[in-house]
Amino acid sequence: MVRRFVKDMKRYIPYVLYASKSDLKSEVANSHLNWLWWILDPLCFMLVYIFIALVVFRRTTPYFPVFVFSGLIIWYFFSRNIRASVTMVRSNKSIIKKIYVPKHVLILENMLVQLFKFLVSCGLLIVLIIIYQVPLGLNILYVFPVFIVILMLTYGLACILMHFGVFVEDISNIINVLLRLMMYLSGIFYSIRDRVPEPYNMILLRGNPMAFCMDAVRSALLEQKAPDFLVLGIWFAIGLLLCLIGLKLIYKYENSYAKVI
Amino acid sequence: MTETAIQVKDLYISYRNLNRVSIKKLRRSSNPKDMRVFGAINGISLEVKRGEIVGLIGRNGSGKTTLLRAMAGIFAPNSGTINTYGNTISLLSIGVGFQSKLSGRENIFLSGLLLGYSEAMIREKLDEIIEFSELGDFIDMPVQTYSSGMYSKLAFSITAIMEPDIMLVDEVLSVGDAKFKKKSYNKMMELIADHSRTVIIVSHSADVLRKLCNRAIWINKGKIVKQGDVNEVMEAYENQ
Repeated sequence: MVRRFVKDMKRYIPYVLYASKSDLKSEVANSHLNWLWWILDPLCFMLVYIFIALVVFRRTTPYFPVFVFSGLIIWYFFSRNIRASVTMVRSNKSIIKKIYVPKHVLILENMLVQLFKFLVSCGLLIVLIIIYQVPLGLNILYVFPVFIVILMLTYGLACILMHFGVFVEDISNIINVLLRLMMYLSGIFYSIRDRVPEPYNMILLRGNPMAFCMDAVRSALLEQKAPDFLVLGIWFAIGLLLCLIGLKLIYKYENSYAKVI
Repeated sequence: MTETAIQVKDLYISYRNLNRVSIKKLRRSSNPKDMRVFGAINGISLEVKRGEIVGLIGRNGSGKTTLLRAMAGIFAPNSGTINTYGNTISLLSIGVGFQSKLSGRENIFLSGLLLGYSEAMIREKLDEIIEFSELGDFIDMPVQTYSSGMYSKLAFSITAIMEPDIMLVDEVLSVGDAKFKKKSYNKMMELIADHSRTVIIVSHSADVLRKLCNRAIWINKGKIVKQGDVNEVMEAYENQ
């Protein structure tokens, strides 16, 4: 299966790259500000959250805007990919009914689109870090292993959900509710560590991969701390397992997708 | 010339209980009455030699399109095998993977890459495709501004010019205006004249099949009724 995956990747990578580029382009093709939207969009929601944080909640937590924004962009990357994956096959009906493509290619394409947006947001985060003069050290490099874990988890989960999304009609409603629940349990707007009472905060931080990843990124950025490598390793293994299960499901059933949609 | 290009053996394809379920439906689906089995292809075996032009005829719903899709690798057969001996195979159909907000030129690349050609190869053929499609300056306009005729012309041009080893043609010879129809028909003839290319055509037009094909296969209810010389099969089909 892994060999087949590598072979598929070799053949379809040019398509994935070109298609995600076209996706991005077509999103802004008819608007007046054109590619500026790629920056304006995250910039606007960043400003909204800074306003809420500083004016409405009057939070005095140090570097609170950086805290919120770093969590938020990770959450957006994850949730947008997951939400899109459920309807992925149906929304690419025109392709799937006419030609064979390995269906995981569709997931990858969407992920690249989201990754691009994520990177633009990261640029804004860096600007924010400079404005708020967050002291940085080499510990900032810890965000990279954490991000790899996020990628694995997102890809694996997206593959599995894409498969079930084909056969179960109302899975997208269920996923929407679950994602909302997960969002509030991930501590985007509050620190789980300080605000949730004793035994539950650690359970939440370890058991919810998004809460764990956000917390790890924030402690690397704001507190110069290394992540908990044991927990990180466990989530990496789970991510890898999810990817394998997802790919296996897709390879086994992908040729019946066209019959169902 | 007697090399086999496609071999289909005992092919069965059915659409059994693969309808989407929702939670509400799931409760009832244990009822066996709901599981309708619809056999689209019921045991077809056929062989197509390299360079042959085969016509598929049959009434609506007889399984022609399903057979083509199975050959193109879109459907998995329930049982039986399809061997295409490593040939590049392409189902000639309208607008594979078009992005309606992008220009025709970008869509040529998108579609070509999806069909498995390299970017360099597409660039090489780009001018030829644009010229054949007769779109002129429209090629740099978004595809959503195209008329349906222009859209089909572009789609046809891409597959016709990229020239796969095996072409599966599903009713697309009725594309565009009379002039373009004639041109696409001529292009088909030209492609067919190249004896290394294998073509399978689905059409309801007896004229087209008689002119293009050297062999015909008549399918009804997922089974082969008659196959052989195109004139004989067409006669039997018309006299049924």
